[in-house]
Amino acid sequence: MRSKFDEQLASLHKELITMGTLCENAIEMSANALDECNLTIAEEVSEYASQIDHKERDIEAMCMRLLLQQQPVAKDLRTISSALKMVTDMERIGDNSGDIAEIVSMEHIAATDDKLDIHRMAQATIKMVTDSIDAFVKNDVELAKSVIAYDDVVDQHFNRIKTELIGRLKNSEADGEYALDLLMIAKYFERMGDHAANIAEWVLFSILGHRAGHIQTKH
Amino acid sequence: MTKRIFRSICFVALGVFLASVILFMWVLYDYFSNTRQDQLKMQTELAAHAVANEGSGYFEGLDTTQYRITWIQSDGTVLYDSESDSDEMENHLEREEIQEAMRSGYGQSSRYSVTLMERALYSAKRLPDGSVLRLSVSQNTLLTLTLGMLQPIIIILIIAIVLSLVLASRLSKKIVEPLNRLNLEEPLSNDGYDELAPLLHRIDAQQKQIQQQSDQLMQKQQEFEAVTENMTEGIILLNPKGIVLEINRAAQRLFETDHSCLGQHILSVNRSLEISNLLLQAEQGRHADCMISLAGDRYQLLVSPVVSGDVVSGSVMLALNVTEKEKAEQMRREFTANVSHELKTPLHTIAGSAELLMNRMVQETDKMDFYTRIYGEAQRMIRLVEDIIRLSHLDENEIEMKREKTDLYALAGDTIDALSVEAERMHVTLTLDGEPAVVEGIPQLLQSIVYNLCDNAIKYNRESGSVSVTVKNRQDSVMLSVADTGIGISDEHKERIFERFYRVDKSRSKELGGTGLGLSIVKHAARLHNANIEMHSVMDGGTTITVTFPKMD
Repeated sequence: MRSKFDEQLASLHKELITMGTLCENAIEMSANALDECNLTIAEEVSEYASQIDHKERDIEAMCMRLLLQQQPVAKDLRTISSALKMVTDMERIGDNSGDIAEIVSMEHIAATDDKLDIHRMAQATIKMVTDSIDAFVKNDVELAKSVIAYDDVVDQHFNRIKTELIGRLKNSEADGEYALDLLMIAKYFERMGDHAANIAEWVLFSILGHRAGHIQTKH
Repeated sequence: MTKRIFRSICFVALGVFLASVILFMWVLYDYFSNTRQDQLKMQTELAAHAVANEGSGYFEGLDTTQYRITWIQSDGTVLYDSESDSDEMENHLEREEIQEAMRSGYGQSSRYSVTLMERALYSAKRLPDGSVLRLSVSQNTLLTLTLGMLQPIIIILIIAIVLSLVLASRLSKKIVEPLNRLNLEEPLSNDGYDELAPLLHRIDAQQKQIQQQSDQLMQKQQEFEAVTENMTEGIILLNPKGIVLEINRAAQRLFETDHSCLGQHILSVNRSLEISNLLLQAEQGRHADCMISLAGDRYQLLVSPVVSGDVVSGSVMLALNVTEKEKAEQMRREFTANVSHELKTPLHTIAGSAELLMNRMVQETDKMDFYTRIYGEAQRMIRLVEDIIRLSHLDENEIEMKREKTDLYALAGDTIDALSVEAERMHVTLTLDGEPAVVEGIPQLLQSIVYNLCDNAIKYNRESGSVSVTVKNRQDSVMLSVADTGIGISDEHKERIFERFYRVDKSRSKELGGTGLGLSIVKHAARLHNANIEMHSVMDGGTTITVTFPKMD
């Protein structure tokens, strides 16, 4: 009985890793699509987003089945409940990547446009997502904590881009549509950073048994 | 074991005991009954005699504690009975002993009481007057006797059980003790009882077999490890669920992990989608491969399922570094493209010029010009083809040119002489320094090294620059260096100038008539001589190329 349960937990773990990889790819490709303003890549991102949606539903169903059939307690219960929460955050990351790709495909932003160094922000967010998945895969408490702390970096990027855009709009240097699109994209990246931090918190919860990660307050 | 020994001891003891009890009872009881009957018969005789003489007077004052006396008339009516009132007694004519006495003068019988606890013995005698005198005595039955002896029997039984318990435990201990003390490592050295010998021999034989098999397994394992650990290809064994069973050193390096990943899922080691796709394929028993970038190199991942029967019992993942291969392939593609391009350009010129001449569209005065151009381009093509042929020879390593002792200094002198016209034309001074230095090599190739280096140094020099060639003996090598005061090579080009058809400045090269293969030939020729090429260059400050030949023994 237990061995079957262990097997199911292992396959849940595997599915979560796969979903994490899908998220990593999705966000990386959305950043690429943005960098190069490449519509083909943007289309692929939406493909990934729908794959991630599917995975989320699969994993949710799996968790529900485990909860009902095995009635887990203690650490097992923590593992499954944090998996349930994690897939929600992962799914949001996939959605946000898809949203960025959608903005790119509207073609309001050209490859040659000054993108206010949003590339660096994208890289910071990608690092957060990758690290949060790494922390989950390796059960690494320290890495999870560093991901939560790194959210500040992404937030700073967002604030920097926001102030800069405000300045440009005041001086009428920037086209309104372009400015708003860029702000939206920055916001999506910022949200993905928050989701990555959430994933890291759930990793901490599943290992330590309490949500130790409240280093900062979420908005 | 104790239980079984106890049971058998107990069983035997009880069996023997019961048999003897039964036997004794039977025999003794029989004997006593007979004696009793005889006694009764005698008493009956006596009493009959007395009654016959004295009549009923005899009964008066008779002691009847021992026997019961009954006198019965010939019609069965009881005349007297020593224990009951004779008037109330029933007719005794039907009784067995009476019948017998009536018939034969004497009769006897025995009857059990209702409870079987007593047996009455009867003995009857016919008196001369036809009446019958009967004596009876009661006797304990066998059952009563046995019941009476129950206590001692039980005591003896208990003693027997206790004794057999003690005996059984001691016996089994004795049997088992040497078994427990057996030294299984060396079965034959044990000194148990003789009955153990066959067992010990069998254990010994089995032990040898096990040892042999484990040795074989160990050897196989070591062979396997030796092979996989020293492979440059990464190899990973996976069970059907994708758990890592074995990972060799190359694969550990590749996936930046260590032995701690054993027993974990391969996706915890590397979670790229390519690998999960490969796993899916392997799960279904299909071979699959993919390209993946790891640690800056390109790798080809091959997955083969291990199928036993119809079940996939695992899979083997092989990682091949194909960076070099891909690079080589790319270079080959570029080479082909370059060759065709390089050959096409002079052909166009030749064809164009020839066409104009053919259509008489060239004035007589310009004809010479066209002939020169055709000749020049044809020469260029010949050089190009020659260079390509030489390079491909060098590539194949097939050349069977004779190696001989060659003075590099003298060879450089000849080459410089040959190039002096060219140098003069470019207003470049050519100087040769150094000393005679002998290397063992192929003269033609050595010559083409010096020639190509000097040729480049002259071509890519500045107005009134200089080229100095130095040949020197070192401790265990011979050094050839060609230094110019030319335009220099920038860092981004340094790595690539030895590639075929690679040119820093394409327009200039064409003007100068180079084939783009010179340095490539130098590189290959130097490699054939195990020589080392070093390049030092400063932009607009000149380039020094040093070729170091190993000295011959």
